[in-house]
Amino acid sequence: MIKYLFTDFYRSKAHSIGLLLLLVAGLVSLEIGSRFLERAERVSEKTAAHQAESIQRNVSHSTGELGLLMYYQRFGLENEVPRLAGLSIGQRDIYPSVQSVNVRNLEEQRYSTDLMNPLFQLLGNMDFSFVLIYFFPLVIVAFGFNLVSEEREGGTWSLVLSQTDSPMDFLRCKLAIRLLGVLAVLVLLLAVAVFYLDIPLDSFFWAFGVIAVAYVLFWFALVWLVVSFQLSSNLNAQILLACWVFLNLIIPAGINVVQRWAFPIPEAMTAVIENREGYHAQWDREKEPTLEHFYSKYPQYGEFQHPKDQDFSWLWYFAMQQLGDDEARKSVKEMRGKLEQRMEMASKVSWLVPTVHTQLSLNSASFSDMGNYLQYMGALEDFHEAKKGYFFPLIFEEKSVFEMDWDGFALESFRDQHPVQWIGILAPFILSVLVLLLWANRNYTKSGIYSNGK
Amino acid sequence: MIEAKQLSKSYGDHKALKNLDIHIQAGEIFALLGQNGAGKTTTINCFLGFVKPSAGEVLINGIPVNPDPKESKKFLAYIPETVMLYGNLSGIENLAFFSSLAGQSYSTQELRAFLSKSGLQESAHDKRVGGYSKGMRQKVGIAIALAKKAKALFLDEPTSGLDPKASNEFSEILKELAAQGTAILMATHDIFRAKEVANRIGIMKEGQMVSLMSASDISANELEQLYLKTI
Repeated sequence: MIKYLFTDFYRSKAHSIGLLLLLVAGLVSLEIGSRFLERAERVSEKTAAHQAESIQRNVSHSTGELGLLMYYQRFGLENEVPRLAGLSIGQRDIYPSVQSVNVRNLEEQRYSTDLMNPLFQLLGNMDFSFVLIYFFPLVIVAFGFNLVSEEREGGTWSLVLSQTDSPMDFLRCKLAIRLLGVLAVLVLLLAVAVFYLDIPLDSFFWAFGVIAVAYVLFWFALVWLVVSFQLSSNLNAQILLACWVFLNLIIPAGINVVQRWAFPIPEAMTAVIENREGYHAQWDREKEPTLEHFYSKYPQYGEFQHPKDQDFSWLWYFAMQQLGDDEARKSVKEMRGKLEQRMEMASKVSWLVPTVHTQLSLNSASFSDMGNYLQYMGALEDFHEAKKGYFFPLIFEEKSVFEMDWDGFALESFRDQHPVQWIGILAPFILSVLVLLLWANRNYTKSGIYSNGK
Repeated sequence: MIEAKQLSKSYGDHKALKNLDIHIQAGEIFALLGQNGAGKTTTINCFLGFVKPSAGEVLINGIPVNPDPKESKKFLAYIPETVMLYGNLSGIENLAFFSSLAGQSYSTQELRAFLSKSGLQESAHDKRVGGYSKGMRQKVGIAIALAKKAKALFLDEPTSGLDPKASNEFSEILKELAAQGTAILMATHDIFRAKEVANRIGIMKEGQMVSLMSASDISANELEQLYLKTI
């Protein structure tokens, strides 16, 4: 039986074309992923080269005054891009992969690096996760919407029923053949991706694969449920396409709207403004309070004093910059808190919406989610703090630029790390597939699958 | 072999079948005549398990069809009015497929023999069914029924769409099957075919069997007169 169902399936042009389209779309997405990775690599290489070159140039032009040099000199921290991110670009096309900062105030610099082509932000990338989340279900729907109804409407069902004592096995077989076809394309694409994008076969890759397979299984389970109502082909197609629109467009957009409404983020701009005003205002103010603030934050610099007879010193200047950062600190924290809340809300809702769950888990496995961005932001703060910790004492004791060794300041990188949360990844899928299958089973038992539909 | 006891089926207020009794022996061909809507197809659908009777019982080979038609299905074969097949498969593949559904496995030679016996020309065996005429599909349907080697055979207007020669060959096959002990229930509009091939003939009207006769006791003309009078 399987042999002939298989032959019948693959001899149908529509089915072969469907699988071929998936394959082509998948390959295109891999090419897009590969370009993304190349670009990230190029940015990283260029930044590293630029940093080395700029240190050399700045030092060669320097008068020896370290404070002045450090006014300009920027040091980069790269948010390391795992190869897997080529499959799921996520937030990485919006946020920069490298940020370079000087030891002046941080908050203003944070938002003034890395220009992006706004066109990409408009369209989004057709990366592999996009193909998986949006295209695969359409083909699955096209393969399965008339699983029973095509037999009823085509007139073969009564002959099938009169021959087999288990129409359910027949239907399961039909569905399994379609499932295998789609899974074969998926596995093929992932295998090509491993070679083409040079993805290491670590636990994250396996998690990525498992998520993709689970997502495909979810859609097949949904098709199985809709088919179990035993409606006409037309109705099935309409219901399934409505599900697609609902799960892939309306709910994610809805979540976005609710997120924006529940956790509005005006803080990013506020932080920059507060930060700017925080230190610009200092020029006209008494210097003592600024210095007091700086000493209370960094008691270790208590030995350095602002010379009373002078209007400017690097100690005061950087203390003023610090004040700018500290005045913006609250807004920064609030913004980060809200981003975290948004993330948390999305991940909670995703338990009920497998499409959203898939997107979030894929991005998380490939470290291209909001979580990664927040981690990187934290790392950038630490990086900035460490650079200050190193250079401030040298600046304040007026060490000469030429007495220092400038070779050790290569581009640094941050690698986000978290273990694969297998239960968190799998549980929502298992839950939804189970509900769909049980519901379908109930429909099949109570309704007359034995009816020939006449 | 094929038995209906006080079989009734209602759809809401409409009574499609009213206390129908049919008993067909092994080796007997029973022709069911009647207008459209008289209940012929509903009767067959009850035997096939497609329709659940409202009251009464249907048995095939002594096995009740309801509540679970699984067991009784092993003993029956069915040729619908229009045999629809899988267009992407050839005639012989369709036959192999439907036989495998019934749990049977035949060699290519055996499959070809069934098709030839049903009258399908050999050149068509390996062609895709998508290009078959209605008559050719009907022949594959007959081959499927032959291959199942069922004890009870149900036919719903089996010769509609067949040319006279094919129709005649079909009658011969039915007689042969009956001679081998198959019980056959055939719903038809074709009075002359019924007279020629059947052992017994029943005329249905509004879900009831209104006349029942032995085919040898009546001429085709008399049968036609009776039919017209009855309905």
